[in-house]
Amino acid sequence: MAIVQDKLSPDSAFALTNKAKRSDRFSGGIGMLRRLLVSDYFVLYLTLLFFLVASIFYPTLSNPASITNQIQNFWPLLAVAIGQTFVLIIGGIDLSVIAVMGITSVAGALVMAENLDPAFFDKSPVWGSLMTEAGGVLAGNPLAVPAAVLTMLLIGTFIGWLNGVAITRFNLAPFMVTLVTSTFFAALALWLTQSRNISGIPEAYVTLGKGDIVSIYLGAKLTPDIARRDILPFITYPFMIAAGLAVVAQFLLSRTVFGRRMFSIGTNRKAAEVSGVPTQSVIIRVYMFCGFCAAMASVLYSGRLEIGQPSFPNNLLLDIIGAAVIGGTSLFGGKGSIRGTFFGVAFFVLLLNILNAMRLSPFIIDAVKGAFILVAALLDIIRTRVANQEQRV
Amino acid sequence: MNSRMNIRQLLLNNSTIVLFIVVFIIFGIWSPLFYSPENITNIIKQAAFTGIVAVGMTFVLLTAGIDLSVGSNMYLSVVVSGLLMRSTGIDVLPALIISLIVGTLFGAFNAFCIVRLKIIPFMTTLGTLIIGRGIGTALTESKQIDFPEKMNDFGQTLFLGIIPMPIVVFALVMLAGYVLLTRTQFGRQIYAIGNDPEAARKAGIDVDRVMALVYILCGFFAGLAGFVLVSQLGGRVDRSFGEGREFDAIAAAVLGGTSLFGGVGNVFGTFVGALLIQMVQTGLQFNLVNLYLQPMVKAVVIFLAIFFDSLREASQKRLKRRFIRPVSASTAGGD
Amino acid sequence: MTTPLLQINALSKAFFGISAVKSVTLAVHPGEILGLIGQNGAGKSTLMNLIGGVVPADSGEMLLKGKPYTPRTPADANKNGIAFIHQELNLFTNLSIAENIFIDAFPRTRWGMIDRVTIKNKTRDLLQAVGLEIAPETQIERISPGERQLVEIARALYQDAELIIFDEPTTSLTARETERLFAIMRQLKEQGKAIIYISHILNDILKLSDSLAVMRDGQLMAHEPTAAFDVNRMIALMVGRSIEQLYPPRSTPPSTELVLDIHGVSAAGIVENIHLQLHKGEVLGLFGLMGSGRTELARMIFGLDPFEVGDIRVEGVALNNLSPQSSIRNRIAFVTENRREEGLLMNIDIANNIGLVALPEFARTPLLVIDRRELLDNAQHMANTLQLKSGNIALQNAKALSGGNQQKVVIAKWLLSRPAIFIMDEPTRGIDVGAKYEIYAIINQLAAEGSGVLIISSELDELIGICDRILVMSRGEIYGQFGRNEFNEERILRAAFRETAAIPTGEKLPTLDEMAEGSAS
Repeated sequence: MAIVQDKLSPDSAFALTNKAKRSDRFSGGIGMLRRLLVSDYFVLYLTLLFFLVASIFYPTLSNPASITNQIQNFWPLLAVAIGQTFVLIIGGIDLSVIAVMGITSVAGALVMAENLDPAFFDKSPVWGSLMTEAGGVLAGNPLAVPAAVLTMLLIGTFIGWLNGVAITRFNLAPFMVTLVTSTFFAALALWLTQSRNISGIPEAYVTLGKGDIVSIYLGAKLTPDIARRDILPFITYPFMIAAGLAVVAQFLLSRTVFGRRMFSIGTNRKAAEVSGVPTQSVIIRVYMFCGFCAAMASVLYSGRLEIGQPSFPNNLLLDIIGAAVIGGTSLFGGKGSIRGTFFGVAFFVLLLNILNAMRLSPFIIDAVKGAFILVAALLDIIRTRVANQEQRV
Repeated sequence: MNSRMNIRQLLLNNSTIVLFIVVFIIFGIWSPLFYSPENITNIIKQAAFTGIVAVGMTFVLLTAGIDLSVGSNMYLSVVVSGLLMRSTGIDVLPALIISLIVGTLFGAFNAFCIVRLKIIPFMTTLGTLIIGRGIGTALTESKQIDFPEKMNDFGQTLFLGIIPMPIVVFALVMLAGYVLLTRTQFGRQIYAIGNDPEAARKAGIDVDRVMALVYILCGFFAGLAGFVLVSQLGGRVDRSFGEGREFDAIAAAVLGGTSLFGGVGNVFGTFVGALLIQMVQTGLQFNLVNLYLQPMVKAVVIFLAIFFDSLREASQKRLKRRFIRPVSASTAGGD
Repeated sequence: MTTPLLQINALSKAFFGISAVKSVTLAVHPGEILGLIGQNGAGKSTLMNLIGGVVPADSGEMLLKGKPYTPRTPADANKNGIAFIHQELNLFTNLSIAENIFIDAFPRTRWGMIDRVTIKNKTRDLLQAVGLEIAPETQIERISPGERQLVEIARALYQDAELIIFDEPTTSLTARETERLFAIMRQLKEQGKAIIYISHILNDILKLSDSLAVMRDGQLMAHEPTAAFDVNRMIALMVGRSIEQLYPPRSTPPSTELVLDIHGVSAAGIVENIHLQLHKGEVLGLFGLMGSGRTELARMIFGLDPFEVGDIRVEGVALNNLSPQSSIRNRIAFVTENRREEGLLMNIDIANNIGLVALPEFARTPLLVIDRRELLDNAQHMANTLQLKSGNIALQNAKALSGGNQQKVVIAKWLLSRPAIFIMDEPTRGIDVGAKYEIYAIINQLAAEGSGVLIISSELDELIGICDRILVMSRGEIYGQFGRNEFNEERILRAAFRETAAIPTGEKLPTLDEMAEGSAS
């Protein structure tokens, strides 16, 4: 007993992820490569390598302003990818996250917008009730922003609940259910806003999307006033929110009964059921969490863009699933981690920035992005094979 | 089994057709003009390209796979033939053939990734979805392309002076799909693989070859559907051409009774599914329902269809339960 | 004597160092029905898999019509005229009978289409040959298991099989279907086909076969003309070995206190009027052939499957709304028959597998945070107690363990929830002898600590070795009960095979009253 305990650090003991055995059996170059391949940090190394090489050719990439800008793109994507990771771990899929972001973004604006242009919105079904010229329901109210955020999160969670219930109680395929909710709520968001973005978002809310808590200034102080654009956001609200969400998610996943049950369902639902795992309620909650995360991402996006936005680009869904898969999450369930998704999102954001820096057309960028998804999927197959070989010995 | 259960079973087994009839009647009551021949022709015509893609999708779903890239495939194959048509002035028929070739190659690439590289279909086609649209937009530099006038003429041509060309193509594809699936070894082996891939291998079926052909065929149909759609749109192709069509195709197939888990489905069902989706859309437009509400109604109809399908499956499972002892001997005390 | 169709010489096969078939020499001639019997695990299936090309042999040779025969795949065996009809049929339920027969190579018309007329006609002929009067285009889904069996035979005929192996074909058939099957087998024999027939129904084998081979522990015990056998000799040959040393002695007597009381449980078509009492500290065996309803009963008790009538009491309290969760709360544990499908999370580490059932016990409120240290300590303790042979339990996946150790993980997972009732379905299936002993010792220990243990097994000597009492299940009913002092393999087997004098096989099922009279001792 004692010997066993000494060998285990508490950290490595129970992270239910794709555990690599840190053995010394493999030596030499191939051994190194194999170890690297199965490492949890593989994607991180890849991202860093990628960044270094790209920085040589495109020095602008590594200047601080560019880095902070990249980081700003990172947080909302991370938030929504976390929820998707949860769903993928239990062997499901949620195609409705983009629609959830749209409808919650609109709902938030309907609560707090400070003025609405009748020329745009008077055809909306809620004009005169939820929408007036004076703005949303709680326009001007000091509680408008918290109420809006709360509404958004509740709606996101509710749509997740709908998905979960349809999937478990009626035994429907997650793909079809979330396709239906996605179509429905995307259309609802467009209907409510007549396809217009809602502006007039209160300042306090915008802060959530891009406000700094700690800023930094690099360089010599030559003038008494530093231009705003030279001040770089360092710790921002989106950072706090998304990182907080990531910490909570990682905690749920690796430290709680709930997380263990998720993995058991994703690995073998029948065995989980026999072992007394309340599979239905776990699945419903996972979809609720996914909806919650999408709503959170919506808070960050719409705060940053200062609008209530009914539709988000559909391509975003591919970024989300792609990031999760690059981070080692399996579409078959039972495998995945928040850390992996974190690296996966970082990789994706970096990739996009590099491609932008290369001044490629946005369309070539898309093509390359798709190719990277394929390469990532292929790498994952190879990694799994190598990891299995290590297990077998 | 009593007759009420029989009726219930009958309704459940044909839930999509029942739903189709119900929707058809509702629209007719709403507006009797809905039943006019022009309108019905219009529905079929507009359902053509979704239906064509959905036939290819049916093949793929029958093997328990999925092809998310068909929308991008439609776009890319049309872009290539459109650009060639404009730069070299080729005629409609060669352009069509080029569309088909591009679509087929696109499908072949999917097949290569899935069968040779063993990347799961979902990821493969998700990747090629993005790649395809990326290449397409890069080729057009994101501009709208206008096909020459003759393309438009093609869409308006009436076959034998009465039947619009898209409907003819639609009918041919349905027929081809039906024949392939029901009358050829390839088709029957697709069903066998979807039912039990392991048993299929044991029975001596070349599973890899069949799988590859299925994705190639799906690509071919996507190329064709793209071409048909262009001719209906008056030859205009913009950046969002074909976007999201994969979901319509999957929905049409699933509404027609095709299972996402393989082995179950047929072309006739897919036909009804594609018509149902288009009928809902056209019917709502016909009755001037708010444009924004239309997708919501469509979503509800799709939900109802899959919901009834799950009821059917559950009741069938109950019927198929494995018995150890004869029920009659134990409950009726022998005969 | 003619040249044998298939001659097997000193064929051997071992899995992971455990021999499954030991130097078997056997021959089957054209126009002969060879009956093959033996207990589960005696090596019959492995022998047939060797012949059918499912697994390769380690040593020995096979001669087909005098020429060396080394099948690499089942398709290879097919090409050589050997057809294998498994208990689980290899048919595509979504296709028609004709399509199933021709699936790998359809005859085609000039247009490349399936020649539907030809396959229909050929299929009709084939179906006629097996006495099946169903349209060739009928879907497999719509026909009964017995008819499916006949379709498999038709496929074998189409492939021009000269040797057809039947692996327990009658378990899912009705009496009439069985008769029809036998008539066809006789017909095939007259046409000069060779048949190997594996069955547990001894009377059938006596009636049907020309010669009879008995296997035990991977060895051929006898191979003689059927006339040289009667049921008694068959059973004696199947059983015949002293089993004392294989089992740890039952040290503690069971208490008289009931822990599980099942009263009149029935589910139409599955089980009928089940009465079963399990006492504290008792090891109760439930013996029955595959398909006798044992597993189904266990699943009902544990709340995985529904039943219509009857009630289940645990320690005197009637249970309702059964579900696995409520069963676990009521301290029932269920080691399922199938480790891979329902037992383990193969791609997850051992420690988390062990911790799965008792997970909430290691959680600290309010967030149900797992005390990882405590969980790991407990899992490690359990692994040590059960002498689990593994690497680091926090890193090694369950998949990487041997069968016996996997089973220990399953048992460990339930032990952590300290159950009062342990239901184990085939706990030693696919496990080597050494690990079996360890599992028996664990069962013994559980009983000594006051748990009631219900063990389902189709290996009779194992039940006799470890149980205090054995119930026999047959066709969904409890068909006999034997106390430890009445244990007698022959009598128990007779009950399971329904070979008791009062009930001839193939006849109408006895009513419960008849049964009670028949087995009351």
